[in-house]
Order: sequence, then C-alpha cells, then structure tokens
Amino acid sequence: MPRYGIAIDTTKCIGCHACKVACQNHNGLECDQKFNTIRQVDRGKYPSFAREFVPTQCNHCEDAPCQRVCPTGAIYTSPEGIVLVHRNRCVGCKYCIEACPYKVRLIDHHEGISIKCWFCIDLVLQGGEPACVTTCPTQVRIFGDLDDPNSRVSRFIAENRAQPLRPDLGTKPKIFYKRS
Amino acid sequence: MPESAWGWLIVTYLFLAGAGSGAFIAAVACDLLAPDWSKALARAGSLAAGPLVAVGTSALVLDLEAGLWEPWRQVYLVFNPSSMITWGVVILSAFIPVSLLYAAALNEITFIGRYFRKYVWHLEVIGTVLAFSTAIYTGVLIAVINGVPFWNTPLMPLLFLASALSTGLAVAMIGAAIIDISTIRTLSNFALGHVIFLSVEGVVLLLFVFMSLTRSVEAAQSAMMLLSGALSPFFWALVVVVGILAPFVLSIVEYYEYGRMPKYLVVGADLCVLIGGISLRALIIYSGTAPQVLA
Repeated sequence: MPRYGIAIDTTKCIGCHACKVACQNHNGLECDQKFNTIRQVDRGKYPSFAREFVPTQCNHCEDAPCQRVCPTGAIYTSPEGIVLVHRNRCVGCKYCIEACPYKVRLIDHHEGISIKCWFCIDLVLQGGEPACVTTCPTQVRIFGDLDDPNSRVSRFIAENRAQPLRPDLGTKPKIFYKRS
Repeated sequence: MPESAWGWLIVTYLFLAGAGSGAFIAAVACDLLAPDWSKALARAGSLAAGPLVAVGTSALVLDLEAGLWEPWRQVYLVFNPSSMITWGVVILSAFIPVSLLYAAALNEITFIGRYFRKYVWHLEVIGTVLAFSTAIYTGVLIAVINGVPFWNTPLMPLLFLASALSTGLAVAMIGAAIIDISTIRTLSNFALGHVIFLSVEGVVLLLFVFMSLTRSVEAAQSAMMLLSGALSPFFWALVVVVGILAPFVLSIVEYYEYGRMPKYLVVGADLCVLIGGISLRALIIYSGTAPQVLA
C-alpha cells in the first residue's frame, strides 16, 4: 500500500493561485472555501527584498491532532495515509479546526461539517494525481509514494532535504517543502 | 483580531458550566460545613447549578452544525475516548441530572425530592466529584490542543477551576439574597470565600500571562494582545479591575464590616465577579492565535 505525500518547491511558486482554483473546481467549492491557501513571506530590506509564496493545504499528518480530538471519530486515516472526514458522522463541533496547528480546515455551512483537502483521492484511485498538482503551470508540487525510495517525490525530498512545516510540533506531516 | 472557529456560544458555555459547577460546590460546602450560617445560600446554589450547566450545554449544542440539524448524530459524540469533548459529554450527562436531583432533594421539591432527601449526602459526594470534573474539564478542553499555543498549558484548567469557584460562590450569594434578603448579614461569612478564590484566581492569572510571555512566540503574541494590544482595555478593565480587584477589596471590607455593608455593595461585588468570569473566558478564546507555521 502506498503512503501518499507531496513535495512543494516554493522557489518555483509564482503565486498564481491556479492550484486553489483547480481545487475549488474539482471539489465544487465556493469562492470563499479554500483547501489550498498561498501564504506569503516577505523578507529583507529594500533593495534586497524577497517575497516567498508558500502554498499550504492539509498535511495529512501521521499523528493528526484533528483525528485525536474529534469526539465522534469522524476523522480517520485511510490505508493510503490520507486523513479523511466521514460526512455522515461529523457533527460540526469545530474542535478539529481549533486543534489543527496549520489551520487548513474549514466548516462547510451548507452540510454543517468540517471539510478539507483529501488529496483528490477520487482521481488518485483512478491512477491520476490531485488537481492542484496537475494544474500548476510551474510544477511546484510533486505527488507520489513516500514509501517508495525511487519515486520522484522521495528523490526530490532526499536531494533537496525538504522539510515539513514546523516538524517540532510532532504531527509528522506528509507535505515537504523546499524553501527559498 | 485573529479569527477563532469558536465564538460567543462557546464562551457562554465555558462560563455557565464553570459558574454552575462552582455554585454546586458552594452549596455543598455551605450545607456540610456551615449549615447554621445560611440555609438560603445552600438552597440557592443547589437550585442554580443544574439549570446553569444545562443552559450552558444547550449553547454548546447550538454551536454544532450538522449535529444540530440531524440530532441523532450526537450519539457519535461519545465514540473517541482520546477527545476531551467525549469526556465532557459523559461528565455533563452525569452532572446535570445529579445536580437537578440534589436541588430537588435539598429543597424537598415534589415527591422525588422527598424520596431522595435521605440520600442527600450521597448526592453531595457524587455531585462534588462531578462538579470539580466539569470545572476542570472546561479548562482541559482548550488546554490539550496544540493548534492554539496560548491555551496549551496546564495552568489553564487551574485558572478555569479558580474562576469557576469564585463565579459559583457569586451565583449562590446572589441567589441567597433573592430567596431571602434578610440573610444578607450572614452572607458576610462567605465573603472570606471570595477573598480566597479571587486571590488564587489572581495568582494563577498572573502566572499564566507572565509564563505565556516566554513560553512560545505565539503565546507571547496572545499575552501581549491582552496586556497592551487590541484586547487590553477589556482585559485590564473587565478582568483585572472589575473581575478581581474590586470584588476582592469589597469582600475584605464585607468580612470585617460584618453585616453592616449596604446590600447593594454585597450583591454588587458578586455581580462584578460574574462580569469578570465571563470576560476572562471571552478574552482567552478571542486572544488565541495559530502557530506561525512558516517561520
């Protein structure tokens, strides 16, 4: 069984938000509902000034804090290591939103449940890749099996020593970043 | 101001659960330790406890979304023992009936009350354990999550417990004054309770805020928001002055001026404690900030 993850090369990101829109399109989200958020880090002092775009989405943590605090057990990890929400079980208590250190979860007020990135598991199970990965014009994201040392994603992580965001929080995220 | 997924309904719940469980503890303490001082205080505390916690729990349920529209989903709430909400649901489901039964027994309301009159002592023991669990659990609820570093400290349950004891005593004292205004003189005996609880609350709040300044960048950011930032007027005015200092001074005066203080000041000190209690919960919820994940 593969263990899916994504490597993100922020040095390539141009902040075009295509990933966000492709995700909203694929998952039928409204314009204010985002599974992908491009955050911005500004550094330095004029004229040595740099702006880094950091795309963030659910990290599918191995020790997911959201899964631990969910009272109904609606949040579970699939065999592929993808953290999912059981639609008919979530009560919308928002405890998972508070517990997520990366603040990538949101509440869907129509269904009244907590929603988030699910690695487009529908596309992945058909042999495809998540919408944010395939749509990116500069190919910032690499999707693949973290357990396979020869997969593109594993090689990229090894070659660039890519790190997850805030590994010190101990949640073992499955999204790795090469930062500028 | 940072956005919290939780709003005023959760603030209301945290406050009412604390005040209700504190009122229960005040009633039991009054009935067991000082039955000849004031019957009214034990009666008022016991009558207030159940309804306050029940109203607070309704606020919690109203904050749900799918669980509110499709209430049968709420049976799932007890399914994950590693979630504090699961523990809370169990504690609240036990505490609300026990506290209502205690109110009925102590005040001999209907045949149920008369029947349970002989089991008052049992209800007091079980109820006190559950009341302390409720008060502490509301703090643990937000202390266990690392998504908000400001809340993630063992001092949080202590702070909420101290606040629950002082707001609970305030509820019981106001209730006693409503039931029997002639008891207002003897209420001065209980002012000592306020002095103790408010000093503990003040010390724990001081430790909590100052230790947050060095605990982590995010916790320091939240603490600064309370000390000198956007929320500081509310923190200093409502929590520190109105919620702790004013009732602390009034309670000391009340204790030494035994029974001679105007009744408006006695009740006023208790109202101040309640305003401080709900402001404390609100400010802690609204000052929570997310970890800086890009650092």
